Amino acid sequence: MKQRWTAPALVAAVGLTLALSACGGDAKSGSGDAAEKNALTVWLMNGSVPDKVVQSVNADLAKQHPGATVTVEVQEWNGIQDKLTTALAGNNPPDVIEMGNTQNAKFSQSGALLDLDADKAKLGIDQWSKGMASSGVWDGKTYGAPLLAANRVVIYRTDLFEKAGVTVPKTFDEWVAATTKLNQANAATKDFQGIYLPGQSWYVYAGLLWDAGGDLAVKDGDSWKGGLDTPAAAEAIGKYKQLQSLSKAPKDADEATPQQFEVFAEGNVAQMIGLPWEMGSAVGANKKLDGKVAVFPIPSSSADKSGSVFLGGSNLGISAGSDSPKLAADWLALMTGEKYQTELALASNVVPNRTALLSKLTDPTAKIMAGAAANGHVTPVDPRWAGVEAGANPVKDYMTAVLTGTDPAAAGTKASAEITKRMSGAL
Amino acid sequence: MGWPLVNNVLLSLRKVTLRELISRDVVWVGFDNYRTILADPAFWDAVVRSVLFTAACAATTMVVGVLMALLLVRLPRFPKLVLSISLVLAWATPVLAATTVFQWLFDTDFGVVNWLLARVGLDTEGHSWFSTGRSTFLVAGLLVVWQAVPLVVFSISAALATVPPELDEAAVIDGATASQRWWTITFPLVRPMIGVLAFLQVIWDFKAFTQVYAMRRGGPDSSTTTLPILIYQEGLARSQFGLAAAASVVTVAILLVLLALYVRSAVRAEEVR
Repeated sequence: MKQRWTAPALVAAVGLTLALSACGGDAKSGSGDAAEKNALTVWLMNGSVPDKVVQSVNADLAKQHPGATVTVEVQEWNGIQDKLTTALAGNNPPDVIEMGNTQNAKFSQSGALLDLDADKAKLGIDQWSKGMASSGVWDGKTYGAPLLAANRVVIYRTDLFEKAGVTVPKTFDEWVAATTKLNQANAATKDFQGIYLPGQSWYVYAGLLWDAGGDLAVKDGDSWKGGLDTPAAAEAIGKYKQLQSLSKAPKDADEATPQQFEVFAEGNVAQMIGLPWEMGSAVGANKKLDGKVAVFPIPSSSADKSGSVFLGGSNLGISAGSDSPKLAADWLALMTGEKYQTELALASNVVPNRTALLSKLTDPTAKIMAGAAANGHVTPVDPRWAGVEAGANPVKDYMTAVLTGTDPAAAGTKASAEITKRMSGAL
Repeated sequence: MGWPLVNNVLLSLRKVTLRELISRDVVWVGFDNYRTILADPAFWDAVVRSVLFTAACAATTMVVGVLMALLLVRLPRFPKLVLSISLVLAWATPVLAATTVFQWLFDTDFGVVNWLLARVGLDTEGHSWFSTGRSTFLVAGLLVVWQAVPLVVFSISAALATVPPELDEAAVIDGATASQRWWTITFPLVRPMIGVLAFLQVIWDFKAFTQVYAMRRGGPDSSTTTLPILIYQEGLARSQFGLAAAASVVTVAILLVLLALYVRSAVRAEEVR
């Protein structure tokens, strides 16, 4: 019995060693000064850049580099993290990749991407809006170029506001007062909610936290410290609780279970905090809402500026194993440059990567969203943050705990410790 | 068969993150990954959770499965058909779909379970089934059992069909009670089948990931983070593939120890008889 197993095991071990050393050899020969090819492979995400814009970018590139060909492969979001990991670790990675802005840190840190700072002037890195650009920076170097972003706004029913004699609030206190008034005016309507705000809408909470001057985690040398045990966190959850108490939404669910736009579409909800596309989905689900829905920026404590928001979006990067990095940088410069950022923003109603371009937006909803994006933030830029979101998200548990009566300080200490733990350890 | 296993063990002795995958560096770290895991109290919490969850699910599955098998063979033709079809459907439901259905059944505000319990007079309106680990485990466990029972029922009822009816008849004539007949005639004959099924249940329930993860992603407060979820969270989501490999090797080792104990006691019991 024993002998029967030793032979294959030995073969396997030797085989693995050979395979691994062969891989090592490959990498060395591959990363030499191979001649730059005149062909690019670009991975874009489904639904991010309209085909028309991509075609124009490619045509412009061909003008700069006669004979250059660009192959665009459209990827699905589902499972993209694994697919990118596999592709970037492979022998023939795509030259340019699009990735979620929260995934960028992982690829920056692992050496999968080229440092873009050599092309700083060409890319116009200094003009990028800070909130969006921060997700692409690791260790002081830029690895990701912001492509597009979107952020939350308050989606509201204009007819219900009018009927209750409520105007669009400018500050947080006005917002609470308006929502209270909406509830009072519609007390007779069964299942009416002045606002639909589930207990675990944690991006909304993050906005309040940033407003209060706090953060989800704070860098502490090489590791991070959870930021939910601070006075800022307590202030933010206090505000969240105040607003949430005006809603009948479950305290232990997030905005996707059930999808909040579906609840909104039923017609008895006056406001929800969501991404602009959720407005379209709600109207799509209930045609009667058509023309009765609009947005306003999430208010902050002061009327001068809107509240902080999480910037979701995607970045572009050049893979370290690209065989035509110069051509890739030129493509990137076009796509993230002023001309095509404007076209993209106009075509898709997304936030462009330059604050200067915000004025070019025409769609009223996109304008309001993009205005609020000026006060945009991202989750901690570190590969280990993915570990916080991957399991039971401690931020969500913290929110539910406080909303159901736990002392904010105690819940904050516990959640912070969990964040610290998950963001510690070697990279 | 052995190749992925060997590879996994080798992987567990290396530091493998995305960085190493891309640079193709092979960094051997000896038993560092194992040390990291075994020193983590969260790991041992997860081990305890996994063992208890497995024991509860496997035991419930076996008891319910055997009882239903006994019922099935005694049913007349039509109810038998209905029960069989229901069982097949429960078995055939994709795991993730079933998990979603269970989540909605036990939903705080819109769940049928809360509504039904409120109907019979219990104060369950707005009760959150997922607010504590125990209650979340209960729902996840129900789901696991619900999907595992059909196989047990069909296997046991097949085994029951091989029990010669003469034995039972003879015992009835001798005036044996139902429970006497079960323990002295039927049970010894279907015992090997029960043994094999229990063995499989333990393996399946120990590595149940989808049901528990999809239910509340190991929450609330990590209180339903079983071993497979911990491996996913610490290893794969953070791209610490070496660490994940080490954790999976330890998981297999724990499972082997548990099964060895089980097999030993089963063999002992056989010898005693």
